[in-house]
Amino acid sequence: MLNKGFNRHYYLMLLPGLIWLFFYNLLPMYGILTAFKEFNPGLGILKSPWVGLENFQYMFELDDSKLIFRNTILIAFSKMVGNLLVPLAFALMLNEVKHKLFTRTVQTAVYLPHFLSWVIVAGMMLDIFSYNGPVNSLLEVLGVQPMMFFTNERLFPALLVGSDVWKEFGFNAIIFFSALTSINPEMYEAAAIDGASQWKRLTKITIPSILPVAVLLATLSLGNILNAGFDQIFNLYNPSVYSTGDIIDTWVYRAGLIDMQYGLATAVGLLKSVVGFVLITVSYSLAYRFANYRIF
Amino acid sequence: MKKHLLLLLSVILVAMSLSACGGGNKNAGGNASNSPDASGGNSGTNTPVVEEVADPFAKFDEPTEISVGRGIDPNYKFDGTDTSEDNVYTRWLKDKYNIVVKHAWEAANGTDYQQKVSLAISSNDLPDAMIVNETQLRQMVKAGQLADLKEVYEKYASPALKAVYDSNPGLLDSVTFDGKLYALPETTLPSAPLTWIRKDWLDQLGLEPPKTLEDIEKIAQSFIDNKMGGENSIGIVGTQQGGTLYSTFLNSTDHWYNFSSIFFANGAYPGIWVKDADGNAVYGSTTPETKETLALMRDWYAKGILDKELGVRKSTGEVVASGQTGIFFGPWWSAYNNIPDNIKNDPKANWRAYAAPLDASGKFNSNSATGSSYLVVSKNYKHPETVIKMTTLHQWGKDEEYQTLTAGKQMTSQEVPLFLILGAGDQLEYAVNSLRDYLAGKMTLEDFDNNNYGWAYEMANHALNVKKDPMDNYDIEYWDQETDAGFFTHLYAHLNGGSAFVDADINWVRSIATAQTKTMESRWTNLKKLEDETFLKIIMGSTDLDSFDTFVEKWKDQGGDKITEEVNELK
Repeated sequence: MLNKGFNRHYYLMLLPGLIWLFFYNLLPMYGILTAFKEFNPGLGILKSPWVGLENFQYMFELDDSKLIFRNTILIAFSKMVGNLLVPLAFALMLNEVKHKLFTRTVQTAVYLPHFLSWVIVAGMMLDIFSYNGPVNSLLEVLGVQPMMFFTNERLFPALLVGSDVWKEFGFNAIIFFSALTSINPEMYEAAAIDGASQWKRLTKITIPSILPVAVLLATLSLGNILNAGFDQIFNLYNPSVYSTGDIIDTWVYRAGLIDMQYGLATAVGLLKSVVGFVLITVSYSLAYRFANYRIF
Repeated sequence: MKKHLLLLLSVILVAMSLSACGGGNKNAGGNASNSPDASGGNSGTNTPVVEEVADPFAKFDEPTEISVGRGIDPNYKFDGTDTSEDNVYTRWLKDKYNIVVKHAWEAANGTDYQQKVSLAISSNDLPDAMIVNETQLRQMVKAGQLADLKEVYEKYASPALKAVYDSNPGLLDSVTFDGKLYALPETTLPSAPLTWIRKDWLDQLGLEPPKTLEDIEKIAQSFIDNKMGGENSIGIVGTQQGGTLYSTFLNSTDHWYNFSSIFFANGAYPGIWVKDADGNAVYGSTTPETKETLALMRDWYAKGILDKELGVRKSTGEVVASGQTGIFFGPWWSAYNNIPDNIKNDPKANWRAYAAPLDASGKFNSNSATGSSYLVVSKNYKHPETVIKMTTLHQWGKDEEYQTLTAGKQMTSQEVPLFLILGAGDQLEYAVNSLRDYLAGKMTLEDFDNNNYGWAYEMANHALNVKKDPMDNYDIEYWDQETDAGFFTHLYAHLNGGSAFVDADINWVRSIATAQTKTMESRWTNLKKLEDETFLKIIMGSTDLDSFDTFVEKWKDQGGDKITEEVNELK
């Protein structure tokens, strides 16, 4: 199976990617040392004095550490689930619509928000959910007291997940659309002749056919469970929702860039990377087991 | 916020005097080899002090480059094709003095700029010179990144520059570490938060200007009830997203658009270290007075008197400009920003400043300013004297040629690189008092001290173009906004806001600590987060008032006690 002559050009094509990886991802890794040092910019990373595990010790002493890890996982996991189920359901529903022009238009319209930056979407969100905004006006008509959405600890994660899913579901649905088109139409025809109803055809043909894709996407996204979306949260949060909205990345940003506690910020960031690495490894092995997906 | 202050102050301190111009024609340039080497000077054995004084206004023999990190205002309109790197001012520096300014990088003023500076520090990739804040300055001193400016300051600073620092005692000491001068600090102009109110609305409703917190509450309530700002009138606006509820000992005390005033009127000084009854240091945010104030603000928030979107709102200025609100707290120079926009939309908008609210005993309290901006020079820069020279030239180098080139246009921090606010402590007081006397006919233009208070003189020259009778009434209808639009804003801010501030009898409260102590370096992030979160939640009613006590306990526990001890040693 291993034919060297056959493989050589593949490796060549891999080269630019590897070079990029080396310079941008592997080389900067020596910065991890900062986590074990009292970083002094004047001395540089290598010459700064060692402090052993002091930064980690302090990190575990902080109540915040548990909180931000919990928030991160909670938000990221909810986003994962939402970003899998909503696009899937949407793709299945749109698939049942036979009007070509309509499906095309809808498909285009719903993936547009994906291309907007969070700065813009966050501004829109804050306006829409503001105290005198459209949502509160609507609630008022229904007899509900107007309220502040973005200072409410309980609602904040839901708003994060909701807005993220709204922004991304159209784009995420694309892969399901392509999976749907690859289903052999003869199966549907055969089922129809055998008298299977629309619903039966959906549950017995469509869903089983695209399930591997869904499982694959789910397992692969596990690697992202510690990425709760810095851009989004940074543009939406405020101190009153720290308890449910502060994630590792926003915390590291404040500690590292605002308060210049480089060592501590790096330690937290490193812990995130380590956990992330474990999760990615697990997710790929799961992907291999359940969806027969391999990258190596 | 800083941006606006800079733009404004840039024009205040123009052309103070040429008094220092008498120097000889000694060759000041091209002597880099024997100018003090900033990066060395550590052995302490030799370094002979160069006692000679160079002419601060001499031209360098050959072009001397300086790279700077530059904060820019993306909305600023330059003349023609000018940019912040190449404009009438930088060309003047180059042609007349051989100082070539290059930008190492640019970033928008505010958060972007601070972030860029922090990145420059942590990556040790510094421009030759830049403006930093106090935390950054300390970080750089600790990291040994800065040049010792002591010798170049002694040698190149003009007598006028030295006089300014002499008139602000302790200022240079605050940036001298182990006998080395590491920065040129800005001389902060005084600032206490005033209450700004739409007086036309007061008149319409037959209300009196406020004195106490209760007055302000009543006024806000009736502004809302009578829908003065339209259907969605907002009572009192303040903190916006990313902003703070009050100014602290670490961020300079420009109390613009926050709620410091409410705290001060309750005798609470959150965010700074004060003395308790026994004379011991206590952190103002942990006192019972602060709790009382939070209770009041919580009540006001529930009643809708405080902006429902405080802390979340993207731009408080927008609300002021659009006329949706009639009350905010801000320093005397608030009239420079947003209010002119409001006037444009609604010519009757008559914003007036009042020294209120007063505390129970009738005193008007404020915390007093700490330092804010510092001009620092990288130790790797070969010509630190350039920076001293530029600072001198900016304040005192404005000769005939300069006036012709700029055609009378005021150069702001957008044209002038390494812009530093420098001035004797009483600039504002002089300007306000002399302008009032001038308008009242008690003073003539000749009486102005043009040498020391050039800006007051300059404004007086334009005063009669913009002020209409009666001269001592600063309501908006007695101003001519069209004839001399450029100076309208200056005079309007000085006479409307400035006079309220100058006339106020202010009880200043100083913070015992004005910089981070050792323990703060590691613990402050956490403590500040705890404070911000708890206070905002109490005000918004998402947690009960007693969580204040839990906060105090936690705060003490998680390093606050240790820090207080350290602050006590500073007393």
